Amino acid sequence: MLQIKCPFCGKRDQTEFSYGGDGQITYPALNADEDSWHDAVFLRQNIYGRQIETWQHSHGCRSWLLVERDTVTHEIFSVELAHGDWQKQVEKNK
Amino acid sequence: MKSERINNVLHPPEITEDLIHFYWNRKKYFARKGDSIAAGLLANNLNIIGRSFKYHRPRGVMSAGVEEAGALVTIGFGARTEPNIRASTTELIDGLHIYSQNAWPSVKHDFGSILNFLGRFFAAGFYYKMFMGVPPFEWGRGTRIWMFFERFIRKAAGLGKSSRLPDPDYYEHLHTHTDILVIGSGPSGLQAAISAAKTGKDVLIVEQDYIIGGSFLNQQDKKELEEQEKLLKKLGVTILTHTTAFGLYDNTTVGLIEIIPSEGRKDLDKKPRQRFNICRANNVILATGAIERVYAFINNDLPGIMSVNSARAYLNRYGILISKNIVICTNNDSAYETAIELKNAGAKVTILEIREQIGDILLRQISGTGINLLLGSGVAKAEKGFNNSTISRIKIVEMTDKGWRYAGTLFCDCLLISAGWSPVIHLASHQNFPINWNEENACFTSFGDAKSVFLVGSAAGIWQQKQCINSAKELFKYNSKQKYKPSLITGGWEKPIAPLYEIRLASIKGKAFVDPQNDVTTSDIRLAHQEGFISVEHMKRYTTLGMATDQGKMGNIIGIALMADALNCSISQVGVTRFRPPYTSISLGALAGRNRQSHFKLIRRTPFNKFSLNNNAVMINSGLWQRPWYYPVQSETLDSAYIREATITRKSVGICDISSLGKIMIQGPDTTEFVNRIYTNSFNSLPVGKARYGIMLRDDGFVFDDGTTWRLANHCYLMTTTTNNASSVMTKLEELLQVRWSNLNVQITSVTDQWGGCAIAGPNSRNLLSKIVDNPVEISNESLPFMGVKQISIQTVICNIARISFSGELAYEIYIPSDYAHSIMELIWSRAQEFDSCLYGLEALGTMRIEKGHVTSAEIDGRVTIEDIGLGRMASMNKDFVGGVLKNRKALTHSHRPQLVGIFPKHKNKSFKVGALLNEAGRLNGHPIGWVTSVTFSPALGHWIALGFIEGGLNLIKGKNIVLSDELRSTFLDVDIVSPHMFDPEGSRLYG
Repeated sequence: MLQIKCPFCGKRDQTEFSYGGDGQITYPALNADEDSWHDAVFLRQNIYGRQIETWQHSHGCRSWLLVERDTVTHEIFSVELAHGDWQKQVEKNK
Repeated sequence: MKSERINNVLHPPEITEDLIHFYWNRKKYFARKGDSIAAGLLANNLNIIGRSFKYHRPRGVMSAGVEEAGALVTIGFGARTEPNIRASTTELIDGLHIYSQNAWPSVKHDFGSILNFLGRFFAAGFYYKMFMGVPPFEWGRGTRIWMFFERFIRKAAGLGKSSRLPDPDYYEHLHTHTDILVIGSGPSGLQAAISAAKTGKDVLIVEQDYIIGGSFLNQQDKKELEEQEKLLKKLGVTILTHTTAFGLYDNTTVGLIEIIPSEGRKDLDKKPRQRFNICRANNVILATGAIERVYAFINNDLPGIMSVNSARAYLNRYGILISKNIVICTNNDSAYETAIELKNAGAKVTILEIREQIGDILLRQISGTGINLLLGSGVAKAEKGFNNSTISRIKIVEMTDKGWRYAGTLFCDCLLISAGWSPVIHLASHQNFPINWNEENACFTSFGDAKSVFLVGSAAGIWQQKQCINSAKELFKYNSKQKYKPSLITGGWEKPIAPLYEIRLASIKGKAFVDPQNDVTTSDIRLAHQEGFISVEHMKRYTTLGMATDQGKMGNIIGIALMADALNCSISQVGVTRFRPPYTSISLGALAGRNRQSHFKLIRRTPFNKFSLNNNAVMINSGLWQRPWYYPVQSETLDSAYIREATITRKSVGICDISSLGKIMIQGPDTTEFVNRIYTNSFNSLPVGKARYGIMLRDDGFVFDDGTTWRLANHCYLMTTTTNNASSVMTKLEELLQVRWSNLNVQITSVTDQWGGCAIAGPNSRNLLSKIVDNPVEISNESLPFMGVKQISIQTVICNIARISFSGELAYEIYIPSDYAHSIMELIWSRAQEFDSCLYGLEALGTMRIEKGHVTSAEIDGRVTIEDIGLGRMASMNKDFVGGVLKNRKALTHSHRPQLVGIFPKHKNKSFKVGALLNEAGRLNGHPIGWVTSVTFSPALGHWIALGFIEGGLNLIKGKNIVLSDELRSTFLDVDIVSPHMFDPEGSRLYG
């Protein structure tokens, strides 16, 4: 079972988290054209190796996280808060 | 075969304290404390333990370990019956009941053994082929014939029967953290634990057996074990016996199952039966040992045939001499020590050595012992006696230039085989670590990942005990700076093994077993090859080799070798199937632990739960929630209750628990902008003190959820969601705020549990409310108009009230702080007695919303667009919102898309059910043009009505005759397609 180190709550079991999706997608503006929305919603890389994905600490602090994980070995390289300002604050408080 | 207890210095005669009794098929026997079940049976000369899976052949004890394929028994009775217990590894407890399996009427005379003689028909793939039908007309093809035969097949084939009663025991989950986990407590495991503990690390050692020692236990000299045990205690190493490491998972997480020591049986009610221990270790050392293999020859499954090492275990650990006339057949050096010990214990021993030469040291060891050694010979067939089912003679063969040649018959009543050793690499295989075929030692080996998982001792293919112990010591010479390099020295015998997997002579016929537990024979493997199942994974599934409870611990390599032979390639080219957890079978109860029933599926109760139950509510599960379904008066049925409830509500007033709706508080300076982006309709213009119905879409443009959102203050909204989607809406909003729109300054909080919600609906609802609220002026039509929101006080408790309606009547939703919800509800209900009033449940709520054409999750099923449900005008053209772009995709705006409609039966006395399909008259076959989502009897209209979807909606269906068809219930009705707003379409009642 994976363990994910939540920046707020520390290392916790995978069962406390829920998987979000591809963390590298930049969602277009709400008024962007259909093609860019189509690509953002439907097209995925299916990466073999390191990828950034979103997880939510749903049974914890409910933070959305950006997790860099190897899809082959399941090794986790980094965990950050998806909210940029919160992440900066956490780093500052270290 | 006659096995018996021996008495000598090492095993003194029985003393009464050590004597225990057990029941074998209801007959009482005696054994010694510390015996395994198999040892207890053998001590009483009980040799035929069970019947085989397919052919019902008699089977006896084949081993003394987890690889056991013959001695499977059922223990206990009633609800505590445990089938398929390996007699070889289970501790015998005083008073235990043990039963044989898969035999009728008895294990000695089994009716099913007739299948043995029909065996040629039951080769691999028999059932697949049989139920493909018999040529030329494929007679018997299809499901029905299979269903008929299945019961007989299931009865004939199989293992023990489990109890049908609920499990009376409970199971615990445990989380353990340790620096180093050592799996296996044999010589190398103990050494690894000691060396690890000496470095100051926290060490846990687990052993599947009920005592530690591993192969130490099978030796006559136990001094070394005692010394190591003392050292372990001194170093404070944690030892868990009865504990199997059944799987190795990511991040060196190991699944352990601990069987609670059986001494506690009498107070089992107070103790868990098993513990599922999730162990997280920084390093895992696999000292899992090796399993001795047999090879395939005719009748190699007869009772009285077992591995050499198990005879040693029974002799030295349990004090049982397996027989007085023993033949050992071996291809390696490991069997000789046992041969000498057996000889010294008083048996006549003959060794058939496959190799034509053995080393000088071995020769010297056995010379003068009286052991008869035949070089270059082996066993081709075992035969049973005339009046018993155990082995009584063997056909031996000798090696010639042209291969094996028949060399005569030899009488014996026990045959021990050693055809090499297979390191237990299962756990390494679970994590897909590299596994290689070691040609020199004829076994598969693995070195783990050499980072956090290591193999030591015979698990790494090292055969000599001294070198095994050294390999464990060596591991700790490395530190984080030096990279660990696994020792390449494997094996360690004087003369190399002569690989042997099968002895077959064309002149000798019969069944030679590869996997005795699943009755897979050598000819099954050849058949698989002949039919093209040549990949090991295919071969496994076609023949069921290695799929029984022993998971191929004995037979796998023989099967792979035979396939390699058939393919004319090497074993390394054929490869090995990937082992999967669990290593040995584990009970599902342990995995579930305490997470059963309401501890698995939680029950959510609303603040009105007690009130509803006090008032005779029948509850219904709605997701995790328990909601009132209907409130029967006396012996009322569901149908008459909901019709009465809906009628009274429309006529006067009804009260309903709506607490399960999701409630999300949204606060912060950017709140209006946020809500405006979420919903399709505009919230910019919503004034404080007003509520608005809103629809939200998913990114892909389909409808996600709906609900009302109340503007409580300038920067404060209360959003309600459907019961079903409460948590997914919350999650989505959090994602939007944290991942996509982190520049918006908005806070959201789930307040579902903080407020008890009740709807008061009907023409008298305002009259009732005015008797409850502290200041009735506040709820007048002027002060609280339709869609108005405000805070009011009821008995000085501040509540939120909104004049919104799901029923189509003049109605209010009141949110009461949960702690006060029960008492305020009692107040409301007592005042309601002055009116013609009722409590109404989910069923009546559904009836009234269907009459009004309001959608719920039955309609918003994730496949409908906002236009499909007839609310297209709610999608604003003047702003951007989530899903706003993709909802305009061509296929989603097609005019032929199914749209929401109302459905009336043409004959008003007819009823029908949800799930029925809609077709054009005369076109009942093929793809339907619509379907029914919600059905109710409408008290307001006096007949059955429904909501559903039909291609093109009302406009395109005009003038067509539509038939509602429900093939499963044989219902076919002519129906009228009408507007979904079936009752009070103008909404005049809302303003009452």
